[in-house]
Amino acid sequence: MDFATLASQFFIGLSRGMIFFIVSAGLTLIFGVLRITNFAHGALYMIGAFIAYSVSTLFGQGPYGFWLALLVAPLVVMFVSLVIERGLLRFIYNRDHLIQMLLTYSLVLIAGDLVKIIWGTEYKSMDIPNVLRGSFNLWGASLPWYNAFLLIVGPVVALGLWLFLSKTHLGKICRATATDREMVDVLGINSTRVFATVFALGGWLAGLGGALIAPTTTISMGMDASIIIYAFLIVVIGGLGNIWGALISSIIMGVGEAFGILFIPGVAIIIPYIIAGVLLILRPSGLLKSAW
Amino acid sequence: MVRMVGKKKSLIRLGSILLITALMASGCGSSPSPTKTEEKPVKVGIIDTYTGGAAVYASDSLDGFKLAVKESADKGGPKIEFVTRDDEFKPDKSTSWAKELVMREQVDFLAGTTNSAGSLAVSQYAKESKVPFIVWGGMSDKITGEAGHRYVFSTLPNTAIIGKAGASQLSKTSYQKVWLAGSDYEYGHSVINNLWSNLTTLKPGVEKMGETWWRVGETDFTPYINAIRSAKPDVLVVGTGGADMVAFMKAVKATGLNQEIPVWAHTSYDPATLRPLGDQAPEGVLGTNPYLFNYPDTAENKAFVDAFKKEYNREPAAFALYGYMGGKFLGEAIKKAGSTDKEKIIDAMEGLTIDTPVGKATLRKEDHQVAIPMSYGVVAKVNGIFTGNDLHTLNSEEIMPSIDAILKARSK
Repeated sequence: MDFATLASQFFIGLSRGMIFFIVSAGLTLIFGVLRITNFAHGALYMIGAFIAYSVSTLFGQGPYGFWLALLVAPLVVMFVSLVIERGLLRFIYNRDHLIQMLLTYSLVLIAGDLVKIIWGTEYKSMDIPNVLRGSFNLWGASLPWYNAFLLIVGPVVALGLWLFLSKTHLGKICRATATDREMVDVLGINSTRVFATVFALGGWLAGLGGALIAPTTTISMGMDASIIIYAFLIVVIGGLGNIWGALISSIIMGVGEAFGILFIPGVAIIIPYIIAGVLLILRPSGLLKSAW
Repeated sequence: MVRMVGKKKSLIRLGSILLITALMASGCGSSPSPTKTEEKPVKVGIIDTYTGGAAVYASDSLDGFKLAVKESADKGGPKIEFVTRDDEFKPDKSTSWAKELVMREQVDFLAGTTNSAGSLAVSQYAKESKVPFIVWGGMSDKITGEAGHRYVFSTLPNTAIIGKAGASQLSKTSYQKVWLAGSDYEYGHSVINNLWSNLTTLKPGVEKMGETWWRVGETDFTPYINAIRSAKPDVLVVGTGGADMVAFMKAVKATGLNQEIPVWAHTSYDPATLRPLGDQAPEGVLGTNPYLFNYPDTAENKAFVDAFKKEYNREPAAFALYGYMGGKFLGEAIKKAGSTDKEKIIDAMEGLTIDTPVGKATLRKEDHQVAIPMSYGVVAKVNGIFTGNDLHTLNSEEIMPSIDAILKARSK
């Protein structure tokens, strides 16, 4: 095993981790602030990918299609999330977790059928924009440009989230709500707006994740189920509701899986669960402080 | 005394009348009066995946079946009715729908199931309930192989046939060091196992360098491809299907793997794979394929494509052919049997040969597996469009698993 292979595998794993982070950051944010187990997060990611496909197809898969899709798809998903939060979720904040899970799970089923009605069953695919096609040479091994692009987008999103959570008033309230919800209520802060904003932001992140993965893969029904397992694993490992925990565990998961695929390719399928198992034995309450 | 006897007699009479009525009532349920038998259409209960990632196959096979039923009725052939049920790709649902269809809908035949595990589960029920089951979705070689029986038929090439066809194609190349990879489920493992065991027989010098298995629904193939590339095999053999196949091909192109290492994958040049890829299809990927709307280039195939296009406004894919053959075999078997009796239809189906868009197709007597030819070729850009190129045909005799091997597997 030469150094070039190890290095390129590391960067590929890291870029895989960036998608994980963008999706699970939204999930963990909703976890932390709203205390809701949002099963529909994967469905929002899937809708993001389908909308990205539609937007880019509208522009004939041309050079601007992808960038416009990257802008529009997350916003549409954000709007959908807002409708879900205002129309449904706000009525069940004080109910059992079971009821909340049932509601979000029903949204998964509804989203699946809606996608089938709107986009049909045939597999969809959108093009990688010209500038990001192909690979470049990295110490003798090749790394696709698109993965390098993900390596830039991931940290930008992380930075944006950090700025929002630590520099804005609303962000500070979000953090406070995640840490001590009762205290925030006692202080008389209107949690309605906070909840709506956080759920919309979570949806935006899911949509962004979907739009980013769309050019690299098949856009099909069922892609929601495959991401939600990773997202839940990452959120649990990182510490429920902790964004930076999600960032660390996304990177561990992405890079760990990439090396697992390199060294034990025959059983690559169980690697995420091995990683999750080992980390949870070492730190049962998550890598960083859980909000719960 | 006389009166008493009379009373007794009338009681006996009443009892026997009741008994006869009851017998007649129960008898009516299972066999309708003979005058109706000639008119009674055969009813098929179709269980398939109409929602979720695999829904594209079920809608194709259903449309193919509907076309066969329509053609049969138009020609004054046997009437076939059908009902459909969605199993959501869940084998437990397939079986409960099968039971519902047999008990409540009283179907004469069962059909469908894209999910191989569902096919095996329904097949087991078909065996117990003696209701014949036509598989046009599940590709597992177990269905007509080791788990086969009198009441199950398959109208699509299974993984044993695909593996043997792939081995035949690869044995014509000079590749020695092989890397095997695929989706970590029944279809992936079955294709690869069959291909590898046939390839080692056809070409004793081949060497397995390693294996990679990814989960079903994998979206990012870059780490897998990068790892395989570093091992530098002569050829990468892949067993993956559905949405994963498209995503895998896309990643082959994005990483430029096809320019370094030859890749083999079943259905690599199928329109279902190439159409979503647009201009991002990887050239040079080898593959096999049971059916293309433009291959074989025969009048029979053209007629089928035209009829299908007229009805559904799109070109038929491979699964449309499988559903079509299912309907056509059933129709011809009813005609041949001259009866709607299930056992007689089964007897008629065994060894039945019909004309299909891909030529003569036979349901083998011994294992109830359809034998059709398969093409092999390579993905190439012809006149600006990605398609299968350098196509050749493998005869069905070349690629069918041997009957001895199947009977041996069944006796275990």
